[in-house]
Amino acid sequence: MSMTPIDTNARRIRELSQAPFLQLSGISKRYGGVTALNSVNFACRRGAVHAVLGENGAGKSTLIKIITGVVRPDDGHMLLDGQAVSFATPADAMRNGIVGIFQELSLIPDLSVEANICLTSPPGQLGFINFAAQRRFAKNLLDRVGCGDIHPGELVRNLSLSRKQMVEIAKALGRRARLIVLDEATSALTGEDVKKVYSLIERLRNEGVAILYISHRMHEIAHLADECSVFRNGQNVATFANGEHTDSEIVRMMIGRDFKHVFPEKPVRTKAPRPALEIEHLSWADRIKDVSLSVDAGEIVGLGGLDGQGQRELFLALFGVLRGVTGTVRVNGASVTVSSPRKAKSKAVGIALVPEDRKTEGLILPMTVRDNMSLASIGRYVQRLMIDRASENAEIGRQVERMSIKAANTDVVVGTLSGGNQQKVLIGKWLMTGARILLLNDPTRGIDVGTKQEIYALMRKLADEGTAILFYSTDYDELIGCCDRVAIFYDGAVRRELDGDNIVEHNIVAASLALDAAAHSDEGKAAK
Amino acid sequence: MMRLRALGRYIDRPSLIAVGVIVLLLLVGSFYSNNFISPTYLLQQLQIGAFLGIIAIGVLMVVLLGHVDLSIPWVVTMGGMMATAAGNLGPGGTALAIPFALLCGLIVGTVNGLGVAVLRIPSMIFTLGVNAVVQGLMVLYTGGYAPQDRATGLMQWLAGERILGVPNATLVWLLLALLAGFILRLTPLGRYIFAIGNRERAAYLSGVDTRLVLIFSFAAAGMCSALAGVMLAGYSRMAYQAMGDPYLLPAIAGVVIGGANVLGGRGTVLGTVIGSLLITILLSMLSVMQVPDSARQIAYGVIIIVMMLISGREMRTSA
Repeated sequence: MSMTPIDTNARRIRELSQAPFLQLSGISKRYGGVTALNSVNFACRRGAVHAVLGENGAGKSTLIKIITGVVRPDDGHMLLDGQAVSFATPADAMRNGIVGIFQELSLIPDLSVEANICLTSPPGQLGFINFAAQRRFAKNLLDRVGCGDIHPGELVRNLSLSRKQMVEIAKALGRRARLIVLDEATSALTGEDVKKVYSLIERLRNEGVAILYISHRMHEIAHLADECSVFRNGQNVATFANGEHTDSEIVRMMIGRDFKHVFPEKPVRTKAPRPALEIEHLSWADRIKDVSLSVDAGEIVGLGGLDGQGQRELFLALFGVLRGVTGTVRVNGASVTVSSPRKAKSKAVGIALVPEDRKTEGLILPMTVRDNMSLASIGRYVQRLMIDRASENAEIGRQVERMSIKAANTDVVVGTLSGGNQQKVLIGKWLMTGARILLLNDPTRGIDVGTKQEIYALMRKLADEGTAILFYSTDYDELIGCCDRVAIFYDGAVRRELDGDNIVEHNIVAASLALDAAAHSDEGKAAK
Repeated sequence: MMRLRALGRYIDRPSLIAVGVIVLLLLVGSFYSNNFISPTYLLQQLQIGAFLGIIAIGVLMVVLLGHVDLSIPWVVTMGGMMATAAGNLGPGGTALAIPFALLCGLIVGTVNGLGVAVLRIPSMIFTLGVNAVVQGLMVLYTGGYAPQDRATGLMQWLAGERILGVPNATLVWLLLALLAGFILRLTPLGRYIFAIGNRERAAYLSGVDTRLVLIFSFAAAGMCSALAGVMLAGYSRMAYQAMGDPYLLPAIAGVVIGGANVLGGRGTVLGTVIGSLLITILLSMLSVMQVPDSARQIAYGVIIIVMMLISGREMRTSA
């Protein structure tokens, strides 16, 4: 690079400072001995999308927490519209028009969509809720986010993760925001919903709202952002206009080291394929329709398509969770009946599932790393009725080392680890069962770039060791980068199977939308 | 300080607080009468407390899963009635009195477990229904009168006698606590119980047979209640109607005072033992001091609420 980053950085911040809506100067925050933010300067303006990039632990979350009033800075000033402000609580920030939309869903599952949207200030008088007004209000907001198909009276519990996130966004919109913070808000979304969020963001930008956009997905940022700021080690290392730097330059700024290959190289297949998992004519209710698919040992097969096209159900069916599944499943040529997860993990079958929701389905957050890791395989370490701690710990130690899980020790509560390390614990749990067939349901959601890379490398390494992997991802780049083959789902059936050079974004998008393979799609441009 | 911290590895804060409250109660009591700190009195509490303590260990197994067993009162009564009834059917009956009563407890507990695990009926509802059914069966069997059968010699020995000055009831309690501690801390079953109590879905998706674990815990709770009924009948030399009624709430309170989370996933056997002891001593002191019944109820309730506030706060700060 010819320019010095510091100079351009200063220039850029100066430019922004001419009409900043929000300006932070010299903001610092320490947690105990750890400095989360170190004298950070930051500014964003109205009518612009400002992307904040950085690895987990770079200080992004702390920045957002300070802006939305969740924590108070130790040092520094914050100006909002030229006025010095200091928020004591999130409600305080909200009164000033700052609204955060977080990855952690804040919805109450057993209330209706409309009740959730109007939770804090339902329309009405004297403590009575005006239900007609509430419905109108909710309907209006749902229409605005392009989700008019969600019925306001529906219970949130019955919505898919993606739809819940859209309700979350609608709820935030109801608060007359002047500054919206979207923290990984699209990580649970795919296809159509992502597009709706894109167009919503563009509309909000045109209405003069300032938008802070945090995402681990580079192509989203390339598509949406006006300005970018990169954080590393609690500092704002660069602020620049979108497009000023290439992806690899940005990634280098984020991790402070060279970032060569995001995805491990795909091996050229030489050996004759040996199918490890064969699925034939699998059907369930009206969600899986006559799916046939096979995965070879050593192969990574991606499941693509829009969210909710039966990919999740296919995993649950293979893992023995669903009742009334018809069709044949063969493992290493032998037909198997998997009636429960316990059967699935048995030696004869050897299927493991890394489920969609790491926090409620995958891990038991209040329990320790050790208890979580050995939960699925504990039977192996029993001697004379008792758990043999020594052999249990030895095996866990091997997994921790193999995946470089960063935890002080295995007695640490899993909930205190970063998302990436949690996901490694979850994968390690299943590796300990000796499963040879891995079902991965969006395993990199909400995880930082560095850890994502480690997980890609691990997947490839496992495949090279002969594991068969079915990999569902909502991120096209991952499907393209990781998979030997990709099966695109549409309406519960495999619409198209792609392999080799056919695995490109254009084909994936076209098949996801059930378009003719030759049809043109805008999304194709985003592919690199 | 160092020593306290080392102690903290074996005993959690709520239990430690409960121990402190017990000591405080005894100290305050000693101003009233020196008897409260005499070994005789304390051993007597360990004997009386065994009935509650045994029930509470069963309750713990169920509470750890995030469930509750409201069939305790009549399973206790059934244990006593079935043991005394069997004990009066000749020599064979006398020998099998206790196993038969435990079997009855096991069966009722298993029914509870099946209802919760297989039929998926909330335990609060299902066990309450089972309690009523068992009550009906017992009334049917006895005709509503106090049964005339005497407790067997073994029952009386277990509940009333002592070995080297230590009440046998206390030893039974201790053995049961050790067994429960062994299961919870050292076996896969124990891990599964904590895992299910914290997040049943994640445990299920890890291939844990969650139904079997639920059924086991309820069956164990049923057996504990029946055992307590056997001992209680041995202590009173006979079974009587509603003999289990006073034990339901103290048993749950004892478990919670001992640091267990009523929503499941957290709790220890040691805490449960200490909690049961605290309640036993509290009730005994209130009655010895001849506090009027009304005031006794109020004091009892207030102290339990205060203890729950303390251990409840504990849970929130350490979570």
